[in-house]
Amino acid sequence: MPSTPTSRRLALQQLTDSALPTGAFAHSFGFESYLERGLVHDEASFGTWLAAFLGQQLTYSDALAIRFLYEGMPLAELDEHLSAQLLPRQVREASTKMGGRLLEIGSEVFPSPELEAYRAAVATGRAAGHQPLAFAVVACSLDIPLEEALPAYLFAAVTSLTQNAVRAIPLGQNAGQRVLRAAHDGVAAAVERVRTLTPDDFGAVSPGLEISQMRHERQRARMFMS
Amino acid sequence: MSTSTTAAGARSTAAPAAAVGSPMGELRLRVARHGGRSVAVHQFHQGALRVLRPHYLDDSGQLGYVMVNPGGAYLGADLYVIDVEVEAGASLLLTTQSATKIYRTPGSFAEQRMSIRLGEGARLELAPDQLIAYREASYRQDTRITVHPASSLVMSEIVTPGWSPERTAFQYEELRLRTEIRVEGPTGEAGLLALDNVLVKPRRGAQAGNVTGLGFMEGRSHLGSLLVVDARVDQALADELHALAAPHDALAGVSLTATVGGTTGLVLRALSDNTEELNRLLGACTAHLRKHWYGQEPLNLRKY
Repeated sequence: MPSTPTSRRLALQQLTDSALPTGAFAHSFGFESYLERGLVHDEASFGTWLAAFLGQQLTYSDALAIRFLYEGMPLAELDEHLSAQLLPRQVREASTKMGGRLLEIGSEVFPSPELEAYRAAVATGRAAGHQPLAFAVVACSLDIPLEEALPAYLFAAVTSLTQNAVRAIPLGQNAGQRVLRAAHDGVAAAVERVRTLTPDDFGAVSPGLEISQMRHERQRARMFMS
Repeated sequence: MSTSTTAAGARSTAAPAAAVGSPMGELRLRVARHGGRSVAVHQFHQGALRVLRPHYLDDSGQLGYVMVNPGGAYLGADLYVIDVEVEAGASLLLTTQSATKIYRTPGSFAEQRMSIRLGEGARLELAPDQLIAYREASYRQDTRITVHPASSLVMSEIVTPGWSPERTAFQYEELRLRTEIRVEGPTGEAGLLALDNVLVKPRRGAQAGNVTGLGFMEGRSHLGSLLVVDARVDQALADELHALAAPHDALAGVSLTATVGGTTGLVLRALSDNTEELNRLLGACTAHLRKHWYGQEPLNLRKY
């Protein structure tokens, strides 16, 4: 398949489509804890949580991992770091579950030697297989530039979470679209910030998000696995 | 036992660009087991870091050391280096005499680099007093720990919202508390078990003006953390510590790290409104570990 601007755009669209079956519908990444405590209950309060999650965790962990992979940092090292820095168990498991699905889908539709190497490392227990890295390996192998891959990845994550919020809170479909529109600025700011971060910043998370992700393990009634 | 000691030198108020050059304070400590007791087999300190005379808090043989910063606080471009090794079978309790205070560090930052190594069967309890960053302070704490799979690490930490003359919170520039824990493998390589990276920038970037709110401090002011790495860490322990934290006036979470080389870590994170409540919460957890693992009494550091 020749790589053209159109082929790259279509590939990126497929990879970041909310219909991509990675199981994102099953993960709230901690917002269900806020739901239980009554702190997230409507469009505005969900938007506040989403902005914090995007500005902190998605920026300092996922997006930075993707940038570092594009810049040639060893995949094994990044994979090990993600496993070590995603301290809440459910979030770590969410990352590797969705990563595993992405590796599988990727090898069916966008196979590459790099992707096969990552899959083999995961299959033999040498790597955990995290979602942002699986995405970055595929996107990189397709020659999708980082400045296109990064906002697409972040917006896909934000879209899945918003769809989950629409079901769980619940929010109206139009309210969900307003949340997504409002998240454009946050995604753009995250993309800008990721450029300026250093290896010391990798994995910095905010205590509140993290505690809520940990508390989710003990939540009685829950719709989500994280 | 001290091989070198100098009084805290005169401090320059002109801050260089970064924490480089020779350390403002340095402490090296190696503890080994001799007979039924742990003793320091090497101790070196210079500049604005030293230790008080070692002591034994009980008859378990655990050695207690108290770190002291005679200068009273960290300033811009100050570098402090701490190197601790607990050899096979030895046990060390390392605390501080008072809160770690970071004063203004205009255009620069103060830094503490700590490296810790635990041998087979070694045990370290690290329980420093709280951290207080003053207005316009920047601080980096870089802690690198290598544990043997059959060793035991318990470390706690409390970060306050800082202090300013107007009594407004979060007036400091930046706090970076990065802790890396590796587990030594059979062939000498050390796999990364946990990377705890707390970064608070109350006045800049995504956090500007938002640190107190939802997603960050959740309306609370103080942050407490407990890290436990020990072969006995399991889900049951996580559940027990969660139950111990629950009655406290704090928002707390407990989770287990991934397992590396057969070793698992436990992380407890708590947000509260004052140092005392977090001390009680973390104290209840460490008391539980001390009692069930070693038959020791709770730590009561104020009795000496």
